[in-house]
Amino acid sequence: MKIAVCIKQVVTRDWPLRVAESATWVRDDDASFEMNEPDAYALEEALRLKELLGGEVVVCSAGPARVSQVIREALARGADRAIHVEGEALAAAEADAVAAALAGAMEGESFDLVLTGLQSDDQGFGQTGVVLAERLGLPHATIIMEVDVADDGGSLRVKRELESGWFQWVSMPLPALLTIQSGINQLRYATLRGIMAAKRKEILTVPAQSAETAGQRILELYVPEKSSATRFIDGSAPEAARELVRLLREEARVL
Amino acid sequence: MILVVAEQRGGALNPATWETVAAAQQTGESITVALVGADVQKLAAELAAAEVAEVLAVEHDALEPYTPDGFVAALAQVMEKACPELVLFPHTYQTRDYAPALAARLGRVFIPDCIASKVRDGQRVFVRPMFQGKFMADVLPQGPAPHFASFQIGACRADACARGAAPAPVREAAVEIDAAAIRQRPEAPFKEAKQAVDLTQAERIVAVGRGIKGQEHLPVAQDLAKALDAELAASRPICDSGWLPMDRQIGSSGQTVAPKLYLAVGISGAIQHLVGMKGARTIVAVNKDADAPIFEVADYGIVGDLFEVVPAIMAALEGEA
Amino acid sequence: MALRRDLAGSRRETPEKADVERETLDVDVLVVGGGPAGLAAAYRLARLNEERGGEPLIVAVLEKARAAGAHMLSGAVLDPSALSELMPDWKSRGAPLDLPVRDDRIYFLTAGRALPFPITPPPLRNHGHYVISLNRLAKWLTEQVEAAGVDVFTGFAGTELLYEGDRVVGVRTGDRGIDRHGERKPAFEPGVDIRAKVTVLADGVRGNLTKTLIRRFSLDAGRSPQSYAIGIKELWDIDPQRLAAGSVIHTMGHPLRFEEFGGGFIYALPDGRLSVGFVAGLDYRDPLFDPHVAFQRFKRHPLVASLLAGGQMVRYGAKALPEGGWHALPRCHLDGALIVGDAAGFLNSMRLKGIHLAMRSGMHAADVAFRAVRENDVSAGRLSEYARLVEAGPIRRELYPVRNVHQSFAGGLLAGLLYSGMSLLTGGWWFRDPMPAHAGHERIRTVAKYFGGAAPPEPPSAPIDRELTFDRLTNVHYSGTRHDENQPSHLLVADTDICRTRCMEEYRNPCTRFCPANVYEIVDADAGEGKRLQINASNCVHCKTCDIMDPYQIIDWVPPEGGGGPSYEGM
Repeated sequence: MKIAVCIKQVVTRDWPLRVAESATWVRDDDASFEMNEPDAYALEEALRLKELLGGEVVVCSAGPARVSQVIREALARGADRAIHVEGEALAAAEADAVAAALAGAMEGESFDLVLTGLQSDDQGFGQTGVVLAERLGLPHATIIMEVDVADDGGSLRVKRELESGWFQWVSMPLPALLTIQSGINQLRYATLRGIMAAKRKEILTVPAQSAETAGQRILELYVPEKSSATRFIDGSAPEAARELVRLLREEARVL
Repeated sequence: MILVVAEQRGGALNPATWETVAAAQQTGESITVALVGADVQKLAAELAAAEVAEVLAVEHDALEPYTPDGFVAALAQVMEKACPELVLFPHTYQTRDYAPALAARLGRVFIPDCIASKVRDGQRVFVRPMFQGKFMADVLPQGPAPHFASFQIGACRADACARGAAPAPVREAAVEIDAAAIRQRPEAPFKEAKQAVDLTQAERIVAVGRGIKGQEHLPVAQDLAKALDAELAASRPICDSGWLPMDRQIGSSGQTVAPKLYLAVGISGAIQHLVGMKGARTIVAVNKDADAPIFEVADYGIVGDLFEVVPAIMAALEGEA
Repeated sequence: MALRRDLAGSRRETPEKADVERETLDVDVLVVGGGPAGLAAAYRLARLNEERGGEPLIVAVLEKARAAGAHMLSGAVLDPSALSELMPDWKSRGAPLDLPVRDDRIYFLTAGRALPFPITPPPLRNHGHYVISLNRLAKWLTEQVEAAGVDVFTGFAGTELLYEGDRVVGVRTGDRGIDRHGERKPAFEPGVDIRAKVTVLADGVRGNLTKTLIRRFSLDAGRSPQSYAIGIKELWDIDPQRLAAGSVIHTMGHPLRFEEFGGGFIYALPDGRLSVGFVAGLDYRDPLFDPHVAFQRFKRHPLVASLLAGGQMVRYGAKALPEGGWHALPRCHLDGALIVGDAAGFLNSMRLKGIHLAMRSGMHAADVAFRAVRENDVSAGRLSEYARLVEAGPIRRELYPVRNVHQSFAGGLLAGLLYSGMSLLTGGWWFRDPMPAHAGHERIRTVAKYFGGAAPPEPPSAPIDRELTFDRLTNVHYSGTRHDENQPSHLLVADTDICRTRCMEEYRNPCTRFCPANVYEIVDADAGEGKRLQINASNCVHCKTCDIMDPYQIIDWVPPEGGGGPSYEGM
């Protein structure tokens, strides 16, 4: 089975980020980066499928040169080779542009299965996988919590997460694309041998084509402001509590 | 014209649909609501009560149950005929599953997970969180209309949806679907207890901090959570001490949540905690220390001893129930 | 046998479950620590491989940080002499040295005023030096080292030395995937035994492996005890007009008293970025002294506050530094191992510089290790050539004349200044040479002794406004520190009873003050009776101050799971 995993490099969770001077992006020139969390689960799932079924795991990433960090990490964990679609503008690109860049590089590969994370920790569009499926002409399913490949290798049965504790099994023919939910499996650590082996693995770097995408432009990025000052509720405990419950019901309407 | 795509499952409307209609109404534009499924006349009539121009019943046997392939095919046809300027969806798991493919097929932009839309310098922009809610972005859709956007659940109030004086007309929108071309074969949904607590999905959270003093006092917070139908969560010291499991920890190295109601009791509000819950819609803080940073992000604050205030809140809840 | 470490942190047993299958990896030279010393050693070895031909030595570097350079923290002003020798073409290789020092000033601070020194004393002159980010330098050096064919393993901590008899034969990396109760998690990955002919210990100030080695072989016998300082630093973004890039400011005096050693520094980086820090000697007597508070008070001084006003703090970090100098250097060569950089104590406290000496020591170690491996003799005798290179080269030339500087400050600021000035004339000689020195943890007095039995006055504090001044916890957030929360505490306190009994009484728990990251807290005991020590291990920025300064020497800093720790990007 030839499996592609799309990974994104994002600013480390909880990094004290600030808005850049342009006010349209963050100041990330000295930020710390890591593999987008759901993508790490997608990679792990791909590695497990490969261990089960044999074949190859190819890690694909679209982004600036710094992305090589997470590509190497993926190779160290066990991916066989990598495709890096390189372009500075991809760092802040929208889902459609990223999907277009990836699709361009992946088209000729005829993957049996493409896995992506559910969404990214930075822009959080949650679309790249689905748009990529559309561009590659693959059936897809999203928010996947379990993957079963049929014995004949021709189809999949996957468990989708729905809202409020509901799930659903969905079958579809291969090749297909799945977006993977965090927590589907247990991530492995990169090993010393994996890191050494990664050095010898192929990273194919292709320049990003300026893809035509519909486009959404960030006019301004800002820290959300609290809409109003804190309303302190005075009085004895019972009085304050009664007033709070009233406000929560009638003003905030959250009860 | 704005097209709102309604959502239904198993003969019931997803209430988030009303919120999206309400969001569309705020623009003052003419609204058409599309409802997709196999037998949706009854629900379409229900939707017609809203103050909208028209309800489209997009019916085909192949559209039940939901599949992304089926919905993309059907709605692509609806779009071509209806020529809306803007298409709005509730930001549900189903929307996330097919709307990006639909937009891509039509070569349109889809701005997901919006919390508002506003006019900025004469242009309609959409406001959406980025970087896990650390920032908001004003996003301007580019390219040819219609633009697609989805609204976060809770971004608008369902009861803000205006009702029409008379029911809106319901029209059948015929679509052609090749059932054989639908590649996904869904099975019946089933409910399953989640192995792990998913605080990110909780609508209400009661979070407890050091002010609770000891593990033996936890029932105070547990009872409040139960009374509010809320999940119990905690700041790091509580989980560090092993009083609650780590999957209930909010903040850096824990969960980032944005519930409708976040009630923080005995939490001072270290920045490590605030980064995990600042995005909550309504924040209530109960703390002894009036200078605690938690009050800087709280909407409602009670300065007092949680062991007095929390039981009083319980009593007040019971009193009004 | 279960690996048992409870939350309070009993001393770590050497866990060896019967069913652990431990991989081994054989190399010729293993460098432990990816800082300037270790990376210089690795780079030099790679160059020697190239220059000398023959079967190349296999060289590997272990680094506990998740990413190269992530645990690197310094001021920093770099004397490029060692780098230029290591890599004459550093400029064309894109070394991140792009800001020469352009302006050097020293002030003596009183509470409200800043008195400029009329001249900058020669040791503090920085002409030809560069204002740098050590994090960036280490990141770039790592790239160079990797490109030269060395494996750099980031995210792996060396937790134990491997011995054959008394010969060091390598390092065991830490097990990963152990939960806080000591049980294996599903992703458990046992540590690897990396066997090496020569192990170069570059594990930094108070390195956990070097520490065990010094103890086991009494490498510090006959030497002065090492003395340390803690450096606390923030990066700020300010209006670039306020201070020209390349400006270097050092201060003495306020908020320290004459009895305390230390001072402040302000280095202007490009684009309005400012490196603002404070160094306080970890040999203070006052048990209530608080270096973090001293740093906040330093920032509130008009000289500093006027620079920072309206700006934004963007990063925070802290790290101990060895200040004992020449007399405190332990024996740095033994069978199968060499000690380099801050781990050994190669730092010139008079010039406030150690990076160039660290690199230089790494280069010497590489030269010796290379020859020793080639000659198949890695005995202490063969490796003692390292000591000769240090003696005969620039390290001694620089450290020997200032050998008594830090010790002289033990007599107070005035004595120190007098000595420092005199020593320029005498070549470092003093009536007592070496000057007597005591480990910092032995100098700290009990509350009763220090205050002579009187009730101690309220210690000076700095109001926290979260604009100019910050509490520890907020600061830690800006250090980017992250550990897997579900792991055993890596701060082993041998006896937490002492904390709530003797220490509380005698010293009032100084760990809550000298730790710059809010790791140690005294909280109400669970049952509501008395107090207990709470260890917030995941806040730890790996500065090692607690291991150094705890008066009972019962805190043992051991590495947490590899990859954990601060993220000092740009620091």
